[in-house]
Amino acid sequence: MLKAKDLSKSFGGLKALQQVTLRAESGHSVGIIGPNGAGKTTLFNLLTGEIKPDSGHVSLDGVSIDTEPIHERVKLGLARTYQVPRPFAEISVRENIRVSMMEDNLKYMLRVAWDDTGEKAIAESVGFTAQQLDQLPSELAMGDLRKLELARTLATNPKVLLLDEVFAGLTYGEIEHISNLLVERRKTHGTTYLIVSHDLKALQPLVDDVLVIHGGNVIKKGTFDEVVSDPQVQNAYLGTG
Amino acid sequence: MNSNLRRGIYGWIAFAAIMVILPHVVGTGVTRSFVFAMYLAIFAVSWDIMSGRTGYISFGHPFLIGIGGYTTALLTYHLHWPLFLSIPTAVVMTMIGGTLFFFPALRIRGTYFALVTLAFMELIYGLVQVIAPKVTGGTRGLSGLETIVTGAIPNYYLALVVLLILGFTMWLVIRTHIGTALSAVGMDEDAVRASGINVTRLKLFAFMLSAFAAGLGGALYVHYLGSIAPRALFDVGFLFQILVACLLGGAGTISGPIAGAFFLTFLLEWLRPYFPGPERFLIYGAVALILYVYQPNGLHELVRNGLKRLNQFKLSRNTS
Repeated sequence: MLKAKDLSKSFGGLKALQQVTLRAESGHSVGIIGPNGAGKTTLFNLLTGEIKPDSGHVSLDGVSIDTEPIHERVKLGLARTYQVPRPFAEISVRENIRVSMMEDNLKYMLRVAWDDTGEKAIAESVGFTAQQLDQLPSELAMGDLRKLELARTLATNPKVLLLDEVFAGLTYGEIEHISNLLVERRKTHGTTYLIVSHDLKALQPLVDDVLVIHGGNVIKKGTFDEVVSDPQVQNAYLGTG
Repeated sequence: MNSNLRRGIYGWIAFAAIMVILPHVVGTGVTRSFVFAMYLAIFAVSWDIMSGRTGYISFGHPFLIGIGGYTTALLTYHLHWPLFLSIPTAVVMTMIGGTLFFFPALRIRGTYFALVTLAFMELIYGLVQVIAPKVTGGTRGLSGLETIVTGAIPNYYLALVVLLILGFTMWLVIRTHIGTALSAVGMDEDAVRASGINVTRLKLFAFMLSAFAAGLGGALYVHYLGSIAPRALFDVGFLFQILVACLLGGAGTISGPIAGAFFLTFLLEWLRPYFPGPERFLIYGAVALILYVYQPNGLHELVRNGLKRLNQFKLSRNTS
């Protein structure tokens, strides 16, 4: 269970997030929507520890993780994908996944990688072919980069997964594949999701609740249908006219 | 993957075998050149483990090498410590010096890191001459230092054993998960953190390995030369030799910088009869530049591509 309480962050005079509180029960899936610049990615950065909040607290399974650095939060089971994929450009897809699979201790890391069954399994689960394992990220199309981003995140074996626009730039077939994978993983692993997406059609079947952020504030919480039919939310997206 | 590792180990065995026989085939002069090449190779390996993959480009390696050199020089010269104590002490002191490199690496990288490390080198160049010149020998340095072994051939084998052990160990290290992780650090350090890896510890490990090699190499080097002087050690020319050996050979591969060190040393030697004056360095620079522009990934990549092409040629002949 991931809980955030009263998270606030300002960049200079810009209040990026104000007193945002959210709660994602174990195995639940929460969608986060809002217009561009609403503060969705800032929220993710605060949850993962990439930036420090001005105030507020984050806890995972009831334990405060406010003081944990990024890599410790990942080890506790909190992982994310980046809106702009950030692969390691000059090493193969296999090695990209391997970096995430490594245990974080020198004794483990001083071993030679003799087999790649783990990397292969993860790569295949997101839809890579066996040949693509040897490719460099620079040779991959946008859709494949998103898959790699997801594969690297899954390789850390997360309990809570923060997905930032994983469907952007994917074909319908790819969106379906990734959606099925996420649904399947939720069933087998009980993974909790926080999903930021502009693609509401792809988001709808994946989420239990939706949180709408606008101008750094949570303006609405509820089921998908409640939220999209809310006039205030429609105004935030379309403008008051 | 396994076959790559096996082929690499065969390569090391072949290299060791050739190097063991060599002094019996070539003359004393060439043997002495090889000793220099091997010390340069040790320093290049040290540079490569810190900077070759991580993107923390060290312009201050002479600083580390100098700590090792000066520590053992002072301990043996003034306090008459035995070598088997002074050299390990020098290595430890260099590793402590390596942590000085590590602190800026917590905040800055790339060019800025390079400049800070360069400043370390220039700083100690000045300090050694000003602070207690009676102890350090000031600008002139110290000479008449104890030597470990005498003669070209014993020194050759001493350097060879150290190079083989250090080089092979580092080569193995970068073929483990560590090597992959260090490469990843060089590409996107924050993304490595987001993969659940303690980047700070990883960097510290690489820096300490590097300092170990620099300290050991530096200490043995001054006992080979029998003298030490600031201008010989804390010198941009010396720094560039290390850098060029690594870049020319192929940074991040360990075997490449070793090849680069040999190539550089012998390029200078071969040019000597034809160009006895300083114009030799102009040609040397031009050759290095052309090679680097032709293949920025260095000699290592040239050889690898050559082998690949040979394999393809064999394959195509077998299938036709």
